[in-house]
This record gives sequence, structure tokens and C-alpha cells, in this order.
Amino acid sequence: MIHALANPVRFLKIARPLTPILLFGGLGLLLFGAWAGLTRTPPDYLQGETVRILYLHVPAAWLGMGGWTSIAIASFAFLVWRHPLANLAARASAVPGAAFAAICLATGSIWGRPTWGTWWQWDGRLTSMLLLFFVYLAYIALARADAQRGGDGRIPALFGLAGTVLLPIIRYSVIWWNTLHQGQSLTLTKSTIDNAILWPLAFTLSGFSLLFGAIVLMRMRALLAAGKVEARMRRMAAA
Amino acid sequence: MNHWAFVTAAYVVGLGGTGAIVLQSWLAMRRAERAADELRRR
Amino acid sequence: MKAKHQRLMLAGLGLVAVLGASGLALSALQDEAAFFYAPADVAAKAPPTDRAVRLGGMVEAGSIRPQPDGVSIAFVVGDGKARVPVTFSGIAPDLFKEGSGVVAEGRFRADGSFAADNLLAKHDERYMPPELAGKMAAAETLEQ
Repeated sequence: MIHALANPVRFLKIARPLTPILLFGGLGLLLFGAWAGLTRTPPDYLQGETVRILYLHVPAAWLGMGGWTSIAIASFAFLVWRHPLANLAARASAVPGAAFAAICLATGSIWGRPTWGTWWQWDGRLTSMLLLFFVYLAYIALARADAQRGGDGRIPALFGLAGTVLLPIIRYSVIWWNTLHQGQSLTLTKSTIDNAILWPLAFTLSGFSLLFGAIVLMRMRALLAAGKVEARMRRMAAA
Repeated sequence: MNHWAFVTAAYVVGLGGTGAIVLQSWLAMRRAERAADELRRR
Repeated sequence: MKAKHQRLMLAGLGLVAVLGASGLALSALQDEAAFFYAPADVAAKAPPTDRAVRLGGMVEAGSIRPQPDGVSIAFVVGDGKARVPVTFSGIAPDLFKEGSGVVAEGRFRADGSFAADNLLAKHDERYMPPELAGKMAAAETLEQ
């Protein structure tokens, strides 16, 4: 069943039409959410206008962690079923994941200056997120080096699995440790953000998620095409 | 302190960064798929 | 088929081990990685007075007093279990208010009070429009 889905030809048949849908759908939702977040919501009673940064910061944080979740799942699938498409999916998730982690750190810092009175503090949440960003960079370098040396992708996949250690630490850092960062506002069942402020977040969150999907598909297609070129070159050189 | 300066900076960084990574991925895909197509035609 | 099951087992075990390590790290670092001391921690165990540390909690309502020198303030940080008097001279962040969270950087004095040389406002996880916050404050006053 998994092999049927993981056939590159079948993958491209689905990915080609899906890419523009995710791309433009994501852009539309994101821009609407950002516009609504900037103009259609009241300021917060304490933070004032800076609360609007949350519409970008929270989705970036979720996708920064979501990117590693997809690297971990794809690496797991690759290690068990050895399917090359899983390897490509893991590699394609790394750059957008790192980018969203960086956006999360940058927007958080810009929010922290007026709210906390500091750009940066070495508290548990901030430090573990920064660590995740560096782990992304290490994974990107490792996966690139592995591919260039003709490796089979097993070492980056093992690294992808091992890096999962950070995800629960980031998530529970604000519960387990005293941190400067506030506790979670959103859990599966309840929210401590008033609905008047919360609603644009649904748009930016879904917009960023669709864009993340579009980026992963585009990068997978680029990797697939590059692999095809390389294989053909090798055959031509041999002939 | 004016809060809007911080909000603007955050939106420039957030939306600009997202736009940049989308554009870079799209250009990389187009370049790679064109190269593959050209090689097939030859 | 057999090799695939073996890999599934190995990768699954690896993932469990990694997540276990994460949990261990969280609990082992619980004391070390704390960003600040809470007043209850101070009451339970005397904090070090020889190095810079942080103290975090709520600024008690009605406790902020400007000092005679004009630049210093004194206030009390509490967490419902214990209270610590704090002095600070300098510019406090906008969100530093009575009844909201604060993290003070500085040193403990021998008498158990805290000399802060920097204040950070600690935000909580509640976000709401000003009108609603006004209503909630009014409701709380009525209840009392």
C-alpha cells in the first residue's frame, strides 16, 4: 500500500496539480489573516498593539516544530521501508522548518523587547528553540554532504530521528521549568486568548501550513528532477 | 515607545522571510525541472 | 519481510529511547534550568547571596513604593506561598505593574531581601481586549 503511494510517477501526478493549490490557497489565507490581524482586532489590555505579532509568531513556532516532526516521520519511514521518496520528503522539510524556526525566534525577539523589556534571555523555551534551529542547520549540512558523497541517506535519517529529543523539551519547557516565556495559551481543548483576538490566528495558521506543504512539494520536485538529471548524465557518461 | 514600529518590523521579517523561502523553492524547482525536460528532449 | 520487521522494531525502539531521553533531560534539569527563583523556593532553601540570580513572581497589589531618592522603588514579590521585598533603581518596563508578573535580576541580601538591577515584565498566557479586561476587573471588585 505504501509502495503504491510512494511511486515517483504517481507522486508527481498528484504533486503537480497540488502545488499551485497549496501555494495560492496558502498565500491567500496568510495575507487575509495578516490583514485581519493588523486591522480587524482590538489591542490587548496589557501588551497593546504588540499582541498582533502573535499571528505570525505562533504559526512560525508550530511549523518550526512541525518541520522536525515531518523529518522524524519521513526518516522513520525511510529507515524501515527504505523508500527513496521518504528520504526526499525529510530533506525537503529541513529548509522550510529551519526558516520557520528562525522567523519564530526573530518575531519573538521583536515582541519581547516592548513586552518583557529584553530582546533575548536564556530561558528554557527560548534556548531550546534556538537549539532546534541549530539542529536544523546541522541536519541540512549532514544531508547535503551525505547526498554529495553518494551516501544512502541512512545517517541523516538517524540524525532526524535523534533530533526528536528536542520537541517535547520545547513543548513542556514552560510547564516544567520557571521560564520568562508565558505558559501555553492554546491547548487542544481550551484557549486563554479571547476570541476577539484569537480568530485571525486560524487564518494565518492554516495559511502558513498550506505554504509549508507547497514548499515541501516544490523542494521534493526539485530533488526528484535533479536526481533524474544526474542518473541520465551517468548513463550518458557510461555509454 | 511606539508599539507599531515593533509590529511593522515583525511583519516585515515574518512575511518577507516566508516570501523569500517560497520564491527560492519555486525557482529551484523550475530550474531543476527545466533541466530534466531538456535532457529528455535531447 | 523479516528484515523489514527487524528495522521497524529497531527504529521504533530508537524513537522510544530518544523520547525517554527527552523526558529524563527535562526532569533532571528541572532545578538547574529554572530561569528564576520563586519566593516559595527562597523560603524553602536559602538562595546564594554571592552571585547574580533572578527572582520571579507577582508584584503584590499596593506594594510599589517610590523611595525618597527619586529613582528607586521598593515592592514585594509574592507567589501566594511566600513574599520577598525587592528594591530597584532604574527604568522599569512598561508592563511592570502591581498584580502582574515580574522577573527581577540581581542579588539576594543577607537579610533575605532582594536588590534588583534589572526588571523584566513577565506576561501571562491570557490575551483579551481592553474593554473585556475592564469588565473583568469591575466584576472582581463587585464580588469582593
